[in-house]
Amino acid sequence: MAAADSRAARIYRALLRLLPFDFRSDFGPEMETVFQEQHKEAGRRNGTTGVLRLWWETIVGIFRTAPGEHLAMFHQDAGFALRMMRKSPGFTLAAILTLGLGIGANSAIFSVVHAVLLKPLPYEHGQRLVTLQQQAPRAGLLNQPFSVTEINDYRAQSHSLDGLVEYHNMNFILLGRSEPERVETGVVSWNYFDVFGVKPLFGRTFRPEDEQPGAPAVLMLSYEYWIRSFGGDPTVVNKAFTMNDKPHKVVGILPPVPQYPDENDVYMPTTACPFRSRPAFIANRQARMMQAFARRKPGISVNQARADLNGVAANLQKAYPNDYPPSVDYSLATSSLEEELTHNARPTMLVLLGAAGFVLLIACANVANLNLSRMVRRERELAVRAALGAGRVRMFRQLLTESSLLALIGGGLGLLFSWGTLSLLVAFAARFTPRAREIHLDATVLLFTLGVALLTSMLSGTAPALAARETVVGGLKEGGVQSTIGRGRHRMRSLLIVAQVAVSFLLLIGAGLMLRSFAKLQHVNPGFQPENVLTMQIGLDFTKYGSNEKQLAFFETLLDRIQAQSGVKSAAVSMMIPLSGNMRMTNDFQIEGQSPTPGQALPVADFRVVSPRYFETLHVPVLDGRVFTRADRPNTPAVAVVNRTAAHHFWGAQNPVGKRFTVDGGKSWVQITGIVGDIKQYGLDKDVPDEIYVPLAQSPLLDGILVVKTAAEPMSIARSIIELLYAIDPNQPAARVQSLEQVRAESVAAPRLTANLLGLFALLALAIAATGISGVMALAVGQRRHEIGVRMAIGARPGEILQMILQQGLALAFVGVVLGLFGALWLTRLLQQLLFEVAPTDPLTYLGVAVVLGLAALVACYVPARRASRVDPIIALRVD
Amino acid sequence: MFHVLLALAGDDLHGYAILKEVELRTGGKVRLSTGTLYGIIKRLLNDGLVVELRSRPAESNDDERRRYYRLTPQGRQVATAEAERMDEILSIARSRNLLKKIRTA
Repeated sequence: MAAADSRAARIYRALLRLLPFDFRSDFGPEMETVFQEQHKEAGRRNGTTGVLRLWWETIVGIFRTAPGEHLAMFHQDAGFALRMMRKSPGFTLAAILTLGLGIGANSAIFSVVHAVLLKPLPYEHGQRLVTLQQQAPRAGLLNQPFSVTEINDYRAQSHSLDGLVEYHNMNFILLGRSEPERVETGVVSWNYFDVFGVKPLFGRTFRPEDEQPGAPAVLMLSYEYWIRSFGGDPTVVNKAFTMNDKPHKVVGILPPVPQYPDENDVYMPTTACPFRSRPAFIANRQARMMQAFARRKPGISVNQARADLNGVAANLQKAYPNDYPPSVDYSLATSSLEEELTHNARPTMLVLLGAAGFVLLIACANVANLNLSRMVRRERELAVRAALGAGRVRMFRQLLTESSLLALIGGGLGLLFSWGTLSLLVAFAARFTPRAREIHLDATVLLFTLGVALLTSMLSGTAPALAARETVVGGLKEGGVQSTIGRGRHRMRSLLIVAQVAVSFLLLIGAGLMLRSFAKLQHVNPGFQPENVLTMQIGLDFTKYGSNEKQLAFFETLLDRIQAQSGVKSAAVSMMIPLSGNMRMTNDFQIEGQSPTPGQALPVADFRVVSPRYFETLHVPVLDGRVFTRADRPNTPAVAVVNRTAAHHFWGAQNPVGKRFTVDGGKSWVQITGIVGDIKQYGLDKDVPDEIYVPLAQSPLLDGILVVKTAAEPMSIARSIIELLYAIDPNQPAARVQSLEQVRAESVAAPRLTANLLGLFALLALAIAATGISGVMALAVGQRRHEIGVRMAIGARPGEILQMILQQGLALAFVGVVLGLFGALWLTRLLQQLLFEVAPTDPLTYLGVAVVLGLAALVACYVPARRASRVDPIIALRVD
Repeated sequence: MFHVLLALAGDDLHGYAILKEVELRTGGKVRLSTGTLYGIIKRLLNDGLVVELRSRPAESNDDERRRYYRLTPQGRQVATAEAERMDEILSIARSRNLLKKIRTA
């Protein structure tokens, strides 16, 4: 029985641990005696039933009491913490600001990472969507579009898919609103939205009958276009607008979903696209223009789908050996849409999240240090409280409450901060992924922020709380005011400083490398002069300008009138301008005199259509021969100009000028008249492609980009150029009116913004770390006044004192830099993908950062060191 | 809480005695557990309605971990006020014939 009693007592004591420490120390022993008596009596009177009942009541009672008591305790602690915070507003403000910035950086970046990388695609069955790409690596084609017959073949012969849909993008002119409007149009299979699992916001999606040849033309509006152009008016459903000379009825509005591959204004079924529905186009297996998306059947993996589709590819190769010669190594690539949508963003976003995490670590270390410094001043208070009976646990709890409050207020500030920067971040992320519009401060982000804040309070509060234990032991007997700091605590502070310097070094290296990389990118010679060039996109109405003659006549008239305008130096039209978009028109060709060996792939180059003064307008040097003139007409011999890369690549040591090639198997020959300099067509960090230019007159365009070299600021004459356009055809809009310099800046915006963000984080880290060093050194000097006084009294000169303090501070910084160096060598490998022509171990960056950090540490130590050197020994010694 | 005040209105008691007193007075209907009891005692102490006795009553020769509690004058006032309030409610209930019998025990 005694054994049972003591076991009951042990269990009861364990149960009491649920109550707050104070409560337990006040009433614990008494409660135990009462319980023992209850237990005895219950057993005596009612046997086991009585004992069980007592246990039940006791357990329930304690579970009911505990939360209230804990809350009461928290109230008391929080009240005390708030009083303490008011008492030292400087510390409080510094801590809250530091933590706010640290937490804010994390919740802001996390909101992006969450929306872009973690959340499933906002399409029903988004996980099962795949994109298909035809590849012919030996012909240099890794992302070949599909022709209609190919789409039909893959759809009919595959077994692993729930649906396969096609997509291509066109520009059409929509009439029926106040001005003619050029709309980006996605041309899709009728079940496109069903396969993606997108339900319309209003109206309906397309139906099979919408895609029948000759069906009445219908449209769906994208959410963004609907808001922008119709103010979100749902009555636009069922209204008709004229496009391509036909009425098109709006049947539905799409919800706000990420649009991929393009941000379109409207969508139409394939049969409504005049280009796509021509019988010749449909029949031609080589007329490749469409992209293909599919949804895997449930339970089918990407690999299984890939195998299935490559089986179809093999069938096609067998059935059409001329279209898929063995020499090109034809295959079908299948990848998950999710991966496709996010792989561009992933490295940058993860690097930024890592950087934000580091900033927070520095912020935590700094607040922990501030706490420790303050602890020295609070030593007496804490010691008194300990002497009055506050237990160690109690003190620990009190200090953690203080740091939690700081972290929570900091977290609130951080949320405000990330809320304020949200629109900037969305714009930033949009450069990497169409999922940017999904970025919100939602419940997950709030939870994350709360979690980070609590973690922060643990990190920044534990060190001082641990240090407080020491105080409790030794604080009072030394009189409090003059107590020497415990060795352990001093070591911890030094450790925190070293850690801050090391992490700052890492961040500075990261930012430095990105900035160097960006600077290199900026200095890349694009091969043309973007200064004073106006550009605008002019897409002609397909129905009105159907023939080559009409297209050429339109552009030549326009160019002549622009050329006559004052302030215009030269004007031209091109199929595309450098550094914008990734539209490629590649063609294979055959060089005269090089008869193709059967089974071997023909050379492939990018073909570009330009009007005569294109090279002059962009200041592209003519290296040999001549470029196009107005004398090159549709009926004169076909001519072409090659870029330097193509000349070297295909003709080697020979001069290609005067040589001929064919794109139609020898039916007609094109003569090369000149060589021009290379242009960075697809991006400053990309290789120059093999390019062949052909004249506008011999290969007219429906959709061209106007480039105008101006005498003054190009945007200033944009309006007058558009007026000239309207004078020729009032229904002809111009789009994307911008200067070529804007285009260039835009093309490097992503690396620029990444470098800026990382730079911001690094500066923040540097500032926090520098104030940290300064604070700790100031405290150390304050505490060593007596010692310094003695030193000076026995003859030390102020300079020596200054040097001594500086040496100590810089030693810490040095250790930090060395640790950071190893960290950087190890971690910057992760940056590799984001860097352009800069090695992750770039010595110049490392040296520069070490110098900057050393200088910052020197300045941070100088102020307290100087104060130390001015200590008056008499005053310092008298204080005792 | 009122039950604890009532129990202490008679005599200075220690924790276990309070439990027993409450149980006895309510005919076993109210059984306080230790957690609940000391939660109440803590509040009463904080509010100054009861005090802990420094000296234990003479007749007690039991466990010295026991602490005795006594109602303060303020505690008595609160208990009285609460009793009067209940009395008023009861008389209303009686006037509405909700309580048939008047107990006189």
